[in-house]
Amino acid sequence: MTIATQNSAPRRRFGGGFKLKLFAYALVAPVVLLILGLVAYPFLFAIWVSFTDMVIGSTGNFIGFKNFEYLAGTATFWAAIRNTITIVLVSDVLKLLIGLGLALLVHQNLPGRGIFRSFLMLPWAMPAFVAFLTWRVLYQPIGGGINLILNQTGLYAGTVDWLGTRNTAMASVIIASVWRGFPFWFISILAALQSVPKELYEAAIVDGANTWQRFWNVTIPSILPVIIVTTLLSSIWTANGFEHVWLLTAGGPSDATMVFPVLAFFGMQTQRIGEAAAVSVYMLPVLAILVIFATSLMMRREE
Amino acid sequence: MTKSSDTQKPTGWSRRRVLKTAASGLALAAASSFPMPAIAQGKKLTYWGGLIFSDDANKLLTDTINAWGAANGVATEVVMINQNETTQKVSAAVSSNTMPDALDMGLGLARLLARQSQFSDVGDLYKKIGDAQGGWFSGPDTATDLTADGGIARVGIPFGVNGNLLLRRKDLLEPAGFTEAPKTWDELVTQAEAINKAPVSGLGLALSNVGDANLQVAVLQSFGGRIADDAGKKVTIDSPETRLWLTWLKNAWDKGLFSPGNTTWDGAGDNQAYLSGQAGFIANTGSVGIAARKDDPELFEASAFSPLPGGPKGIISPIDVQVRAITKASPVQDEAKALLEHLSSPEYMNAYFNVAIYGPVLANQEKLQAFDGTNTILVGLLGLAKNGTAPAYPDVNNAAFADLGSNFLIPKLAQRVVVDGWDFDKAIAEAQTQGQAIYDKY
Repeated sequence: MTIATQNSAPRRRFGGGFKLKLFAYALVAPVVLLILGLVAYPFLFAIWVSFTDMVIGSTGNFIGFKNFEYLAGTATFWAAIRNTITIVLVSDVLKLLIGLGLALLVHQNLPGRGIFRSFLMLPWAMPAFVAFLTWRVLYQPIGGGINLILNQTGLYAGTVDWLGTRNTAMASVIIASVWRGFPFWFISILAALQSVPKELYEAAIVDGANTWQRFWNVTIPSILPVIIVTTLLSSIWTANGFEHVWLLTAGGPSDATMVFPVLAFFGMQTQRIGEAAAVSVYMLPVLAILVIFATSLMMRREE
Repeated sequence: MTKSSDTQKPTGWSRRRVLKTAASGLALAAASSFPMPAIAQGKKLTYWGGLIFSDDANKLLTDTINAWGAANGVATEVVMINQNETTQKVSAAVSSNTMPDALDMGLGLARLLARQSQFSDVGDLYKKIGDAQGGWFSGPDTATDLTADGGIARVGIPFGVNGNLLLRRKDLLEPAGFTEAPKTWDELVTQAEAINKAPVSGLGLALSNVGDANLQVAVLQSFGGRIADDAGKKVTIDSPETRLWLTWLKNAWDKGLFSPGNTTWDGAGDNQAYLSGQAGFIANTGSVGIAARKDDPELFEASAFSPLPGGPKGIISPIDVQVRAITKASPVQDEAKALLEHLSSPEYMNAYFNVAIYGPVLANQEKLQAFDGTNTILVGLLGLAKNGTAPAYPDVNNAAFADLGSNFLIPKLAQRVVVDGWDFDKAIAEAQTQGQAIYDKY
């Protein structure tokens, strides 16, 4: 009886629903605090810093938009905009074509396709540092693998400075970047292809659709949401990518391959943290739109 | 039955217990983040050493500090930091109040941090060491005097001079009739042209967005060009002398004397070009010589070191000085000063010079065994210490000049001409505008 009385006695002034909510909030509080501390604070702090003249060792003073004005007045900044857009657009198109082509190939019932599939994932699995340094060696004008092949096959007898001339530097960076990035497209599109119901193809065949019509009217619409999400994610990663440019050209020759992340790194080297932060903040609106778009698409797909 | 209520008490994790534990954890975490009084931590000294190309030198520094700590009852922690990352590490440490008690660094960073009052005054120790060892060489003495910056005059104890020496392949040059080092930049081109035959390129000089390429600032200055006026305010890149330098550069470029790939080299580009036998001349601090001596003695024997060539206005061969400083917030000031004095002792420095790539800073160090003439790299560095020009000279060594260098403005001007094919006027106009924008920030 005592037990029953004790258990039934009202010990709280608030209802059970409120308690449950409080408990739920308490449970998520550590994660929220972590996110605030590790994501929100650095993010907001970086925005604040971009409006200051902070250098190493000083807290800096608020200077309004001066960092942004200064950057906008430099030729390198505009080169970084052009180059970032070029790398993102061209890389995405090439990765899409290669990823889609290989996914369609591996989707066929070919012998040894499991091994082939794993083999295609190697560039993605390789650490970026190793991958791009290897490409740098391949691009070396003297003793580099590509020039050796060209010379020994008799295709070209001279020496091409792949990374050192404006005409070839950007293309070289894009090729290395595509090589490392296409497996993500390949695996995403392959997964999407495998989820397309066979009934759709059977119905199309019954309707007399040829291979191209089945591809264009069944396959593409079915995998389009995946392609869009992959494009957005890949664009964000490429635009934010640092190592592919830094390890290959450091933004050169001249400003031929200068991109935003490398420009921000140079800002850090000048010890003017405010300016470096301003470079990153310049990228923010475009990347934020891409992130929001990608997130909403992915959530819609989950629903 | 009263007892029964106890037996019914939940023994697992109740909501209340979860909350209580979480709150306790947070409180504990918050409390532990407050710094403990120094006395409670014992005497501990943390030293950040700049990691250089020589493993022996890095080990010697670490062992010496630890041995000194053991002998003096001070717990020591030596953290070796890649010199290319010192700025980033120090930046984070300053922001988070986690600076070491003492550290070594280049003069540029020391100057910047001194302006933020990060370092203690070591003027007394500077004088004591100088008096005991025949005085300081004038180059390092002038370079490390920060009086003009308006703060403390001496925030660091110099321990080594470095800068560029010209390294050449005498095994190729002598058969071509060149037994002496080039005295001028024009002579350099003449000699480079004589040995410029694939796979060897005459000039292994970087023209990329990298610190090595700032050698071109010195070349520009030796042709009479200046970055800014004597007040260090108005940029003067747009001048006939700059055109003279660009003419020299373009001429050498058009002759195909520069190593292919030099417009995108990283910091090791010239090292690799020389060590792989693909460059006839490079300008280097001596690290290549050390690497060659260790890994390719034949190449080392085939190489010779000399001062940088000069232009119409003479030789501009800027020195950089490495200094050791004590952070102002360190609770072990006296111990740190004692350590810095110990690290300046002739015995230690002789051993260090033998394995490192620095020239001397004190007059008596010239008499050390390390500089007896048997080591050609150290002979070159001794010459640099005695005859090198002050950082930035003839320009004013201020923050704007350093910022301009960190932005590689002069290498970029060179790239505009040789990579982008811009005419001199257009390229110089851009550099002038960008340079003035940098100077206007200060």
